[in-house]
This record gives sequence, structure tokens and C-alpha cells, in this order.
Amino acid sequence: MGLKKRTQREEQKREEKRAIKRDLDGLITQLQRGDRVQRRWAARDLAQYGEEAIDPLCSRLEKETDPAVQEAILSSLMEIKRPPIGERLIPLLRSDDAGLRNRVIEALQSMPELVESHVDELLGDPDPDMRIFAINIIQWVKHPDVPKWLLEVIKRDEHINVVGTALDALTDIATEDMKEDILRVKERFDDPYIHFVVDEIIKGLS
Amino acid sequence: MTLSDREFEKFREFFYRKTGIFFPDTKKKFVEKRLLARMKATGHESFRSYFNFVRFQRSGEELQELTNALTVNETYFFREKYQFESLVENVLDEVLEYKEDNEPIRIWSIPCASGEEPYSIAIYLLEYWPRIDEVDVEIIASDIDTNVLEKARKGIYNLRSVKNLPKHILRKYFKRLSGDRYEIIDDLKEAIDFRQLNLFDYRENKKYRYIDVIFCRNMLIYFDDESRLKAAQIFYDSLNPGGFIFLGHSESMSRICSLFKVRKFKQGIVYQKPL
Amino acid sequence: MKKILIVDDATTVRKYERQLVEEMGFGAEEAINGIEALEKILNERFDLLLVDINMPKMNGYELVREIRKNPELMEIPVVMISTEASQEDKIKAYEAGANFYIVKPIRPETLRSLLNILC
Repeated sequence: MGLKKRTQREEQKREEKRAIKRDLDGLITQLQRGDRVQRRWAARDLAQYGEEAIDPLCSRLEKETDPAVQEAILSSLMEIKRPPIGERLIPLLRSDDAGLRNRVIEALQSMPELVESHVDELLGDPDPDMRIFAINIIQWVKHPDVPKWLLEVIKRDEHINVVGTALDALTDIATEDMKEDILRVKERFDDPYIHFVVDEIIKGLS
Repeated sequence: MTLSDREFEKFREFFYRKTGIFFPDTKKKFVEKRLLARMKATGHESFRSYFNFVRFQRSGEELQELTNALTVNETYFFREKYQFESLVENVLDEVLEYKEDNEPIRIWSIPCASGEEPYSIAIYLLEYWPRIDEVDVEIIASDIDTNVLEKARKGIYNLRSVKNLPKHILRKYFKRLSGDRYEIIDDLKEAIDFRQLNLFDYRENKKYRYIDVIFCRNMLIYFDDESRLKAAQIFYDSLNPGGFIFLGHSESMSRICSLFKVRKFKQGIVYQKPL
Repeated sequence: MKKILIVDDATTVRKYERQLVEEMGFGAEEAINGIEALEKILNERFDLLLVDINMPKMNGYELVREIRKNPELMEIPVVMISTEASQEDKIKAYEAGANFYIVKPIRPETLRSLLNILC
């Protein structure tokens, strides 16, 4: 009893017990059929397979309801970070699962390059919530045109909450030349929150 | 050059969003001094240009430098000892509830640096946990830095390191050396398993399994968002269901990972892997 | 003084709600997501929570569900705040345990009535 140091032998015993087929096919099967712990490990290990793992990971994510497994899948996708991932994740923004939606947003925020080519389509989506999610992602994209994209939203979007989100996103990155357009939003929306954010941005510019 | 109130606010909001650390108005001078030093070091003349640099730098290196400069990182024995209190008063009892008989309790200290933390845990358990004699406890201590691990294995410390230790503990667990230095007794040195580890080496980190308590204090704060999430996932998988993880007192899972349950004990917040 | 916790990941929304709440004579604290909110609620007492639905790490529904599970916290009044007036969202909010559901942007009069009723 008391403090003990673990021996090498015990560790090896555990390693052997866990030896299952861990090549790509084995992992994919485990991802699809295993219990939640096995699916998590499979999702984590698949990160090592790069491009080949994208399809199995994304396909599973589309059906996966366990948050811990969703998290592991997204974590691996974030490590792999290749273009096909953008196309597969964006549709998940429409999911009814709020937890999944928000995790996907976070994942996309960390992979801005994958979203850049979809900006127009996202900001033009008929669903205002989708446009809001799009702004949440785009605002972290490190592209010189981001302020411009956001400016377009505040000039043209009809939905008050989409405009509000874009204004919030512009707060630290608005430039002097946008002042007029930003002030004009107050005329489009006679709402105390909108007025508040516009005033905040203008204050920040002086 | 001083920071305007608005600039300080902007910076404070950004830093809070990134790290969860909030600087009250009283800390303005403290922040200003260090910001100006970093501006100088990176060749930025205006706050605005430096701020944009930090925010949009892909590697996140400058944010890490800045974080280093803004956070205090001393290590010494019984640092943040309210967490060790939590360990012996609440956490270990809960761990024992889910443990199978005869399975040792495993505590992982990472990064262990020069050893103050794992030795503190060991001493605290021996001194203040009544059940230490009934149960086997393994303490694993890892760090990426082999030099610091060597120091830890040698177990020799100066006055600053031991300043918070009650005298009777100093007498019981240390040998006094020349030059105001103290050396950990051999029994303790042998009880701790010191191992080199790069947390993100996926072959190595997998060997850490069936852990019951992790102490990961003031490490995640220095990582970028992606690495923090990765690290949290590694910790999650290394823990037994029901296992606990302690972060540094100004750190929070709120900016890192959603998988852990937030538990509040008398001494503060500890995170738990769901059972 | 009664205290409100404002939970929203957007900085200006938190600032705006804080201004409204303080003008009405309440104290305000902020959290950027459900986990931070939970940590604050566990450490100090709040008289009401204003909770946005879509937030990273722990969203509004998840936060309210957690709170209602905890015997110490379950009585706290919660106003859930959504960006879209969808029936499904409303039902989800009430099922999670919210006391009220309102749609952004928040109008001062709406907030005033709610604060008067709930705390």
C-alpha cells in the first residue's frame, strides 16, 4: 500500500491485450460498428491516414450522435485539413443537432482555407441561420477581403440578425472608408441593438 | 507611449476570449508594460499594428510569447495547494468508488518540470490522505524536456522552491544540503515514475491509459486552440471514466473542450470524465 | 443588488445586454459559452440567466439541461434567446427547461417586463 511505481511488465501485458487489427480497414470497421469507446479510438487513429480517412470519418459524422465521438472525428479532420473536408462539413451546418452544428462551426473556424471558396454560396443561403453561421466562420478567416465580405452583408442582407452578426464581426476590423455604409445601417433598421453596435464601431474608428 | 483606455479594452477583450484570463482595470499598467515590450521586440510602432499582427498570425507564436509575458509561471512546492486539498478531501474518495478492488490509483502530473508538482502530490498524500495505507497509488510524472526531468530525478531544490512547506514536512521528506539546498529523500524519489513525453506523439501518448487523476496546470495556456483541443482529447482518452483533471487556477475547459463535466468542490472547480 | 448572468459568444451582444440590465438597476456578469456560464453559476449566485442558443463548447440547450439536473441550481430563472422564431427551437428551449424564450434582437421593454416577472 502507499506509493508504488508501475513495472514495465504490467504495461506490456496491457499493450498485448489491446492488439486488434488497426490498419485502415480495421479502423473503418471499428468506426462504423464499435461501441462508443472503440469509435472514439478509431476516429482518433484514423487521423494518421490523411486523405483516405476523410470519407469514412465524414460519413460516420453524418450519422453519429455521441458528442465524444463527434469531437474525436472533428479533431482528426482538423488534423488532416484537406479541401474535400469543407464540402462535407458545410451541409452539417443544417443539422438539427445544435451540439453537432456548433462543433462543425468550430472545426471550420480552425480551417479557414477550406471555407474561402464557399463564401458566396454560404452568405447567399436562403436560411438566415445558415448565413449567421457563415459569418461566425468567416469572421475568423485570415483573408484580406473579410471586412469587404462583411460590409456587403450589412449593406444588402434583409434579415436583422444576419446584419447584427455581421456588425458584431466587423467591430474590430472595420476601416475608416466603411464609416458611411455602417452609419447607413441605422436608417435601414430602427432597432436599439443595431444602433448600439453601429455606435460601438464608429467609436472604435475615431 | 501609453495605451489608451480603448486600446486596453480591446486587448483585454481579445485576451479574455482567447485564454479566459481577464485583466481588471487595476492591471492596466502591468499589461501596458508587457505589451510595449513585445511591441518593441517585434518592431511594431503602434498598438494597432501590433494587435493586428498578434490576431492574424497563423502560427500563433506571438500570442504565445505574449501569454508567457503576461502570466506568472513560477514553480514551487505546494503551489496552488488548494487543489491538493481537493484531491485528498473529495476527488480520491470519488475515484475509489468506481475503482475495482486492487487496482492502483494512477495520478499523472504533466508537465512535471523540475518535479515540484509530483513530489508535492506524493508528500500531500502521505501526510494528509488517511487512506494512503489502504490503497496503492502510482504517480507518473512526464515532461518533454529531458534536462528538467534530470533535475526532477535528482530532487535538489533551493529555498525559493520550498518556501511554502511547513517545517515538519521539510524535515521529514528532505535532506538539508550545503548552500541552503534541500534534497528529496530517496524513498520519494523512487516512488515517482519520471518519463520523457511529447504529448502529441501519438504512439507515446497512447501508453498513458487507465489514469484516475491528471494534474495539468499552466501548460494548456501556452498552446494554440487546435493543440489545446488535441491535448484535451488525449487526456480524455487516458482517463478512466469518472477520472478527474485539474487545470491551473486561471484556466478553464470553457475555451478548450466540451467533453468534461464541471464539478465544483469546496476548494474550486475540477473537471471529470463522465462515468 | 440582483445579478444577471449574460451568456452569449458575441461581444457586442453581451455589451448591449449589460447596458440594458445595468440601466434597469441590476448587476451583470458575462460568459462566452455554456461551460464558462456553468463555472460562474457554481461559484456565485445569480438571479436570472440570459442565454443565447448557439455558442461553442456548450450551447444554450445543453447549459439549461445541466442546470436543471443540479439540485442547487435548478430554480434559477432562464430566458433563452434565439436568432430565429422557429416553433421547433421554442419547443426545444422549453423542453430543456427554459422559463421564457425570446427572439433577438432584444428590445428594452421586453427585457424590462421579463426581469420584473422573473426576478
